[in-house]
Amino acid sequence: MLMTLIRRELLDNLMTFRFAAAVFITLLLVVANTVVLLKDYEQRLTAYNTATQESYQKLREERVYSRYAMDLIVHRPPNPLSIFNLGLDKQVGNEIAVYHAFVPTIWDAVKHGADNPFLNLFTSIDIVLVFQGVLSLLALIFAYDALAGERERGTLRLVLTHPIQRGHILLAKYISAMLCLLVPLLISLLLSIILLTTSTTISLHADDFLRIGGIVLTSLLYVSLFYLIGLCISAMTRRTSTALMLCMFVWGVLVLVYPNLILTAVDIVPQPNTQISAYHQIKQMWEELNREKKLFLRNDTVLGPLSRNGEDWGFRLKGGEYSFLRDEDKPSTLLYFYQSGFYAGKIKAESEPHVPLVQNYYGFHNREIVSTVNRTWLVRKPALEAIYVQPANLGQMLLKFSPVGLYDAATEAWAGTDLEGIQDFFSTVQRYRRAVVDYFYDKKIFESRQWFAADEGTADWDALPQFAFHRSDTDINAKRALPDMLLLLTMNVILFTVIMLIFIKSEV
Amino acid sequence: MWHIAKRELYDNLNSLRFALTMVLLLGLMLTNALVHLQEHPAQIKKYRASVAVALNALRSRTDLYDIAQRGPGLLYKKPSALGFCAEGGDTLLPDAVGRNDTVWEDGELKSFWTMKYPSTTPDLKNIRSDITKVDWAFIIGSVLSLIALLFTFDSISGERERGTLRLILANSIPRHTVLTGKFLGALISITIPFTLAVLMNLLVISMSSAIRLDAEAWGRLSIIFFLVLVYMCLFLALGLLVSARVRQSAVSLVILLLTWIVFVVFMPSVLPSIVSGFSPAPMTADEFQERIVQLDRELLSKYDNRLWADETLKTKQVRSEYVTRDAEIQERLNEKHLTQQIDQVQRARTVSRVSPVTIFQHLLELFAGTGFERHLQFLENAQRYAREYREFVIDTDNTDPESLHLIGVREGMSQKPVSPEAVPIFEDTFSLSRDFNAAAVDLLLLMLFVIVLLSGAYLAFVHVEV
Repeated sequence: MLMTLIRRELLDNLMTFRFAAAVFITLLLVVANTVVLLKDYEQRLTAYNTATQESYQKLREERVYSRYAMDLIVHRPPNPLSIFNLGLDKQVGNEIAVYHAFVPTIWDAVKHGADNPFLNLFTSIDIVLVFQGVLSLLALIFAYDALAGERERGTLRLVLTHPIQRGHILLAKYISAMLCLLVPLLISLLLSIILLTTSTTISLHADDFLRIGGIVLTSLLYVSLFYLIGLCISAMTRRTSTALMLCMFVWGVLVLVYPNLILTAVDIVPQPNTQISAYHQIKQMWEELNREKKLFLRNDTVLGPLSRNGEDWGFRLKGGEYSFLRDEDKPSTLLYFYQSGFYAGKIKAESEPHVPLVQNYYGFHNREIVSTVNRTWLVRKPALEAIYVQPANLGQMLLKFSPVGLYDAATEAWAGTDLEGIQDFFSTVQRYRRAVVDYFYDKKIFESRQWFAADEGTADWDALPQFAFHRSDTDINAKRALPDMLLLLTMNVILFTVIMLIFIKSEV
Repeated sequence: MWHIAKRELYDNLNSLRFALTMVLLLGLMLTNALVHLQEHPAQIKKYRASVAVALNALRSRTDLYDIAQRGPGLLYKKPSALGFCAEGGDTLLPDAVGRNDTVWEDGELKSFWTMKYPSTTPDLKNIRSDITKVDWAFIIGSVLSLIALLFTFDSISGERERGTLRLILANSIPRHTVLTGKFLGALISITIPFTLAVLMNLLVISMSSAIRLDAEAWGRLSIIFFLVLVYMCLFLALGLLVSARVRQSAVSLVILLLTWIVFVVFMPSVLPSIVSGFSPAPMTADEFQERIVQLDRELLSKYDNRLWADETLKTKQVRSEYVTRDAEIQERLNEKHLTQQIDQVQRARTVSRVSPVTIFQHLLELFAGTGFERHLQFLENAQRYAREYREFVIDTDNTDPESLHLIGVREGMSQKPVSPEAVPIFEDTFSLSRDFNAAAVDLLLLMLFVIVLLSGAYLAFVHVEV
C-alpha cells in the first residue's frame, strides 16, 4: 500500500511544471557557477605555484642564515573543494613568513597573486549557495499543497476512507518528495563533478569524493528540513494559497533576511578591549629584551665599543657589506618584533679576532628572542582569540538558528574551508617554525659563522626541514561537520513528529 | 477604477501578508538605522583625523621644492552621509589615493610626487563569513521585490480561480481600468508599510545628534524614494503579467519565484563573475611592478651619463628634465593600470544590467554617494586636484624672478617661502548633476523595464479568457 502511495505521489510530482523548471534552473546555475569557480580555482592554483616557486628560488639566493628572515615564506594552496563551499578559502591570507621572532597566525598572513582588487565588489557564488537558495525554495514549493491541496480538492477525504494509516500517507509524501528533490541535486552535482574532472589542474582524491558525499548528505538533511517546514505549514492551514504565501515568507526570513540581518546586527555588540593591554604587554617584553641586549653589549669590552648605540649593525667588522632590519609593529594583530642583522661577504683578517665574539652574541641573542616569543605567545594567543575568534564564533552561533547557518557550517566543515580547516594550515606552519628553530639549535646555526658571513661556507638551505601541508583527514572533517548535521537531523525529527501530531489530530 | 483600487487595498490591508510585510520591513529598517548610528560617526571621525594629519603635513611645508617633491600626501575619500541607503562595497574600495613616501633618492635628486592608486586588499583579518549588509538596497532590492510578487501573484489568477473575475468583467468596466485599479491597489498597499518603515528609519537616524542630514541629503533621499516606487512598479507589473497569463495562482507564484531567484539572487553575482573571468585581465601587481622598474631603468639609461657630469646650468636642466619625465612616466603608467582595472569592472557592470535589481542597486549607490561610480567620481576629483596642485607649483615658481625655473631641482626652484594658505587643498565633493548624468542610462533602462512589463501585463489581461 505504501508503495502505491509513493508511486502515485512520485508521478504527481515528477510530471509538474514546477519540477521541470526547478531542475532546469538548478542545472543552469550550478553549471554556470562551476565554470566560473573552476576558472577562479585554476587562477589561484597558478598564482600559488608561481609564488611557491619564487619563494623557493629567493631563499636559495641567500648566502647567510640570518637572511631567512626575509625569504622563508610558505604558501597556502587553494582548496579544490572550495568550488562547493568557498568559505574562508579565498578570504584570508595565503602567504606567511616563517621566522623565529614571531609565531605565525592566520592574522599575520598576507595574500599573494591579488589581481584586480575592484573585482572584490562582486560576490562569488558557490554550489552550496545555489542549493541553499534554489533547493530550499523547491522543497517548499513541493510541500505547500501536499496536505492543504488534498484537503481543498477533497482527495484527502477519499484517501482516508481506505484503511490506511495516516502516518503512511505522510511517509509516502515525504519519501516521494525527497526522491524528486534528489534528482536536481544529484544531476547538478554529477555535472559539476564531470566539469571538474575535465579540468587538468584539479585532481580529486578518493577522500575528496567522500567529502563530497558528506556535502550531499548534508544537502539532503537541509532540503528535507525545508520540505518538512512546508509540510508543517501545509498541515496547519486550510487553503493552499495561504500555505504558499506563508511558506514564501518563512523562506524569505530564514534564507534571505535572518542570516544577513543577524550578522549585520552582531556588529552593534561592543568589542572587548583586551587588545591595547595585551599589545602593551607584548611590547614591554620586547623592550625588556632590547635592554638586555644593550646590557650584554655594554658589558662586553670588545663588542660594546664596536656596536653603535648598542645596536648590532655590523659591529664595524671589516668586510661587512650591509645591515638589515626585520621588524613589525601592528597593534591590531598584536604583532611586535624587531631584529637586525648584517651580511658580510668576506671578513677581513684584521676583524677575524672579533668573529667568535659576534657568533657568541648572536647565539645568546637568538636564544633570548625565541624565549621572548614563547612568552609573548602566551599573551598573544588568548588575546587574538578574544578579539577575532570569539566575535566570529558568536556570529556563527547566532546564524545557526536558521537552517541556512547549519547547512553552511556543515558543508564548510566537509570541504575544509571553515575556520578550523584554515587553522589547520596555520598550525602546520607553527609546527614548521618550531622544526626550523629546533634545527637551528641542533646544528648550532644561531651561533654559527654562516649566520652572518658567507666566507667560510654558505647557508645550506636544502638541509633545512621542508614544509609540507596536507588537508586534514576525512574523519576529522566528519567530526567537525557532525554537530551541525546532528542538529539538522534533530530538527527534521522534531518537525516530522509535530506534523504527525497535527495531521493525526486534524479533521478532514 | 478607484473603487477597484480601494477594494484591493481593503482586501490587502486585512490580509496576513500585509501584517507580515509590516513586521519584516520595520525590523529590517530599524536594524539598518541602528547599525548606521553605530558605524557612521566612527567613519567620519576616522576621515577627519586622517584629513587633519595630511593637511598638517601639507601646511608645515613652506619650501616650494619640498611642496613639489613631497606633494599633498594622501587624498581621502569623504564618507557619504547616506551610507545606510546603499553600502556599495565601500569597505572593499580604497579610501585614499596619492603617495605618502619617497620612491627613490639619488644624491640630491628625489622622485617627484605622483598620484598612486593603492588597492585595498579586503580585510584579511576578517574571519567571518561573507554577508550582504542590511542596507536599503538589500531591503528593497531583494526583500521588497519578493513581497511585491507575493502581493500580485494571485491578483488575476486568484480571482479567476474563485470566479470573481467573471463577475467584475460582467460589469461595464473597461479591462484596462480593472488592471490599473488592481495595480494601484497593490502599489498603495505596499507603499504603506514601506513608507512607515522608511519614516521610522529616518526618524531614528535624524534623532541622533551624531549624524546631520543636510538639505541635499534629503533631496537625494526623495529621489531614492521615487526610485523605489519605480522599482516596485516593475515587480508589481511582472506579477500582474504572469498572473494574467497563468490559470492557477500557485503556478503563477512558482514561475514568479523562480524568475525572481534567478534575476535577483543569482544574476547580480554570476554574470559579473562570468564576464570578468573571461574578459582581458589587467596587469597583475607583479607585472605592474616589473613594468615600473623597467621604465625606470630605460629612463635612467637615457640620462645616466649626463646627470652628474658637472654642476653647470645645462646639467641642472638635464636633472630637472629627468625628474619631471620620471614623474610623467610613472603617472601615465599608474593611470593606465587603473584604467585597465576599471574597464574590466565596467564591462562586468554593463552586462549585469540585465537584472533589474542590479540597475536599482547602481542607481541607489549613485544617489547615496557610495559604491563604484562614486569611487570613479572621487578619482576624478583627485586627478583634477593633482593638476591644480602642479599648476600651483609652476605658477608660484614663475612669479619669482630670481628662480631658474628648473622644476625638480632644489637650487633651480624659487627659494621664497610659500605661505601655507596659498597651497590648494583637496576637497572631495559630491555633485548631484554629475550623478544624474551617470544615472541616465540606468534610469532609462529601469523605466524601459517597467513600461515593457506594464504593457505586457495589459496585453495579457486584455486577451485573457475568463
